[in-house]
Amino acid sequence: MANKELTVDKSLLKEALAAALAKGGDFADIFVENKRTTSVSLEDARIERVQSGVDNGAGVRAIQGGTTAYAYTNDLSREGLVAAAETVAQAARGGRGQRSIDLGNLTPHLEFKVERRPDEVDVAEKTGAVQAADRAARAVDRERIRQVMVGYGDVIQEVVIANSDGVYVEDERIRTRVVVQVVAAQGALMQTGLETSGGAAGFELLSLEKPAEMADKAARRAVSMLEAGPAPAGRMPVVMAGEAGGTMIHEACGHGLEADLVLKGLSVYGEKMGAEVASPAITVIDDATLPGRYGSYRFDDEGTPAEPVVLIEKGRLKDFLFDHFSAQKQRRRSNGHGRRESYQHKPITRMANTYIDRGDMDPDKIIRETGHGLLVRKMGGGQVNTTTGDFMFEVAEGYLIKDGQRGPLVRGATLTGNGPDVLKQVTMVGNDLGFGTGTCGKDGQGVPVGDAQPTMAIREMVVGGVTGASGSPRIRRL
Amino acid sequence: MKEEDNLLILAGVLDLVEAGAQGEAYLQRRRRLNIEVREGRVETLQQAGDHGLGLRVINDFRLGFAYTTDLSREGLARVAAQAHANAAAAAPDEYRRFPAPAPPVEGLFLYDDAVRQVPVAEKIDLALAMERAAREEDGRVSIIESSVYQDEEVEVAVANSGDLRQTYRSANFAAYVALVASADGDSQTGFALDQSLKYGDLKTREVGREAARRAVGQLGARPVQTREMVVLLDPYVTGGFLGLVAPALTGEAVLKGRSLFAGRVGRQVAAEHVTLVDDGTLTGGVSSAPVDDEGVPTSRTVLVEHGRLNGYMHNTYTAARLGGTSTGNGTRGSFKSTPETGVTNFYLEPGTADPAALMSDLAEGFLVTEVLGMHTANPISGDFSVGATGRLIRNGRLAEPVRGVAIAGNVMDLLLGIEAVANDLRFIGGIGAPTVRVKRMHLSGH
Repeated sequence: MANKELTVDKSLLKEALAAALAKGGDFADIFVENKRTTSVSLEDARIERVQSGVDNGAGVRAIQGGTTAYAYTNDLSREGLVAAAETVAQAARGGRGQRSIDLGNLTPHLEFKVERRPDEVDVAEKTGAVQAADRAARAVDRERIRQVMVGYGDVIQEVVIANSDGVYVEDERIRTRVVVQVVAAQGALMQTGLETSGGAAGFELLSLEKPAEMADKAARRAVSMLEAGPAPAGRMPVVMAGEAGGTMIHEACGHGLEADLVLKGLSVYGEKMGAEVASPAITVIDDATLPGRYGSYRFDDEGTPAEPVVLIEKGRLKDFLFDHFSAQKQRRRSNGHGRRESYQHKPITRMANTYIDRGDMDPDKIIRETGHGLLVRKMGGGQVNTTTGDFMFEVAEGYLIKDGQRGPLVRGATLTGNGPDVLKQVTMVGNDLGFGTGTCGKDGQGVPVGDAQPTMAIREMVVGGVTGASGSPRIRRL
Repeated sequence: MKEEDNLLILAGVLDLVEAGAQGEAYLQRRRRLNIEVREGRVETLQQAGDHGLGLRVINDFRLGFAYTTDLSREGLARVAAQAHANAAAAAPDEYRRFPAPAPPVEGLFLYDDAVRQVPVAEKIDLALAMERAAREEDGRVSIIESSVYQDEEVEVAVANSGDLRQTYRSANFAAYVALVASADGDSQTGFALDQSLKYGDLKTREVGREAARRAVGQLGARPVQTREMVVLLDPYVTGGFLGLVAPALTGEAVLKGRSLFAGRVGRQVAAEHVTLVDDGTLTGGVSSAPVDDEGVPTSRTVLVEHGRLNGYMHNTYTAARLGGTSTGNGTRGSFKSTPETGVTNFYLEPGTADPAALMSDLAEGFLVTEVLGMHTANPISGDFSVGATGRLIRNGRLAEPVRGVAIAGNVMDLLLGIEAVANDLRFIGGIGAPTVRVKRMHLSGH
C-alpha cells in the first residue's frame, strides 16, 4: 500500500479483543479506520470550497447472546483502545468469555486496480476538471442555465479489522465521486438536471466518465425539462430503460432481502425462501466483487471476503444478504454484507452492487411491443417500506410511449408500487445493463452502493404526475 | 475537558496561521449513549466519545478548510498546512470574513447533568418501559423494530484571529419507537419520537403508545381512486414539508439563484395564517445555543409573517454579500464541515383551532400521516411527488385508512394553499409544525 498511514500493533488488537471479552461475551471485533477525504465544490462559476481532512478512530464490539455492545474512540493509543474495550466488556457479561485469540492474516482474493491514486493527483487537476464541467454546462444554453453546481470528492480509507475468531484483515479502499447539478429557469419555472458518477476507483474515473460530458447531459436535461409537459397520472404500462439505473431494484426488493430485517420479521420476503417472488424472467444478484463499481469492496467491514450472491434466480427466492450477526442467528456463515459508515457505527446488513441480470430482448423491441405508457430513461432517488413492500421513486427523465415509439418528454413523474407485486409484472427483459450509483441510508448510516438493471417492461404501475424531476441522488430506507 | 483546555487547543492552532492570513478554529467533543431494546432485552448498547477540530483560513480573500481528529501537535500542524493549501486553490472572494466578537445569548438552559448522573441501568429501564407501553396500547402490535433511548452531550469551542472566543456545553435526550402492527394478514408500520433538553421531560411511554396507535390506525389501508380532495397534513408531515421550505429561506440559496423566495421580500408568499420563524434562543428548543457555529449570537428571526416574506436566514458570509447582518444561522453538520446557512429551531406558528376542528366541516378529505420519499422532493424547484399514507375524512370525521397513493405539487402552492393552522405545534428535532389544512390537492391512486 502506498502512502500508508494506519499501523496498529497486532498484539495490541489481541489485548483489546481479550479485554472486550474479559467479563464474558461470545464474540468481539475491532475496526480501526483512517479516512482521508478531499473535496472540491464549484458554484457561481467559482471554486468555492476546497476541503480536506483526516478522521482516525476505532470501534470495538462485543456480542453476548442477542446483545451487542459497541464503543468507539478517536484515541488509537493502547489506553484508548483498551478503554473502549472495557466499556463494551461491562455490557457483555456471561457467556463464553475470554479465550486465547490467534490472529491470522487474510490476503485479498481480488485485486481492485487504482490507476491514479487521488492523493497523488495535484489539487489543480481536480479543480480544473470541476471548472471544465461548469463551462460545458453553461455552453448548452447561455440564457436559461442559471446555476451550475459541481462537486468532486475522493476518499482513501485504510482499515484494520480483527475479531475473536482469529480474522485479521488490512485493506485500503479508494473511492472517487463526481456530482453535477444544473438549474435552468424560464419565467417562474425552474428545472434541474443531475448527473452523478462514482466508483471504487481513483482519479481515472474522470477519464472514463468525463465531468464535462456529464455536465452537458445534465444541462440538456434541465433545459429540455423547461419545455416538457406534465406527466400523466394513474396506472399505465412502464418501460424502464437499462440506462435508467437500478434504484427500482434497490428499493423494490433489495432492502427486503437484507437478513437483519428478515429476521426481525420486517420483510415481505421473510417467509418466502424457495417461493416464486418475481416473474421467471427475473434474476437478482448482489455482487461486491465487480471491479470499480461504487458499491464494490474486497472485504466487508467485518473482514468477510466479498462474493457474488444470487438472491432471486429465475423468479425464485434463493438467498438473503447476511452480516456476521444475522448469520450467527441463522447458524450459517456471512456472505460478506456486514457494512458500516465508519468506526462510529456497528456493522449492519447492507447491499453492495445490486442488479437484475440481463435477458435477451432488444431494448427497442421492448418499447415497440409495449405500445403505450411511460418510458423511464433516468431514475432519481427512492424509498421503501420493507414491511409492506411499498416503494416510490422519482423519474428524473421520462417520456411517453406512443404507438410503440418514444414520444414527448414529460416532467414530474414518480412511480409508486409494491415490490413483490411489480417484480411479478415484469413481462420483458432486455439484453442491456446500466449502472447507477448512490448513497444508501439505513438506520442513520450512509454507505456507497451501486445498482443496475436491463431494460424492462412492467405491465402496470401507478404514475404520480404533475411535478418536476431529479432532486437528490440519495436512496433511503424508511 | 475544561473549557480553558479547549480554548488552549484553539489558540495553539490559530498560532499556526500564517502572518497576513486570518484563521478560525472550531472544536467539538461529544459523548453519546444509545440503547436499543427489543422483546424485553437490550439489543444494542453503545457508549462512545469523539472529538475533532475544523480550521478555516482566509488568505488573500481565499477560503480554505481542513479538519482532523488528531489534536496532537503533529495533527494540528497538518490541519493548518492543509487549510492553507486548500485556500490557495480556491477563488478569491472579497466577502470572506470571520465575525467580530459579540456577547452570547444568556440564560439558556442547555445542560441537564442527568446526561451523566442518571445511571445507564435506569435509562435501559426507560427504553424497556417504552417498549412495554407500545405493546400494552394494542394487542395487534406484533413486532417492535426498535425501541431506542439516546442521549448526547456536546462541548463546543470556537475562536478566530479577531478576538472572538466562545464556548458552551449542551445535552439532549431522545426516544423513539418503530413498530409493526398486524391483523388479518395485513402489516403496517408506526413510528413516534420525542426529543428534549431535559431528561425528565422525555415522554417515553407516550412515544410507545403513539407509535402503536399510528400503526394500528393504518391496518386494512387501501389505495383510493384518483381524485382531488382537501388535504390535512399532521405535524410529522407538515414538518417534512417545512424541511423542504427552510433551505430556500437561506441567504445562501438566494445568492446562488436557487431560492423560490429570491427577490420577493415584502410580497405575499404564503397564506395569511402562515408565520414561519427560526429561533436559536427558543426555550427548550433542541437546537438552541448561545452562539451559532461561527460564534455569532443566535436570534429569533421571523422569516414569513402572516404570509409576507420578511427576509432570510444568514451566516456571516451571506450577510456580507447581501448587505445585512448575520442572524446567527451559521451551522455546521460537525467539525468536518464549514459553517453554512442552516436552521436552528424552525417552526410554523400554531393557530388556535383544535386539529379536529379543521376537519369538522369537511364532507370528504384526506389526513396525511406519513409520506414516502420526501427526500426526493426538489428543494430548488419546490416540486414534490410523494407516496402518502393516512386516513380518509368523511362527514367531518376520520374514516378508513389509505395507503399507496401519491400526492404531488409545488411547495410554494402548498404554502399559499394553507386554509387553516391548528394549535398542536410539535417539534421533531429542530423543526416544529402543527396540523394544517390545505385546499384541494390531486391524489393519484387507482
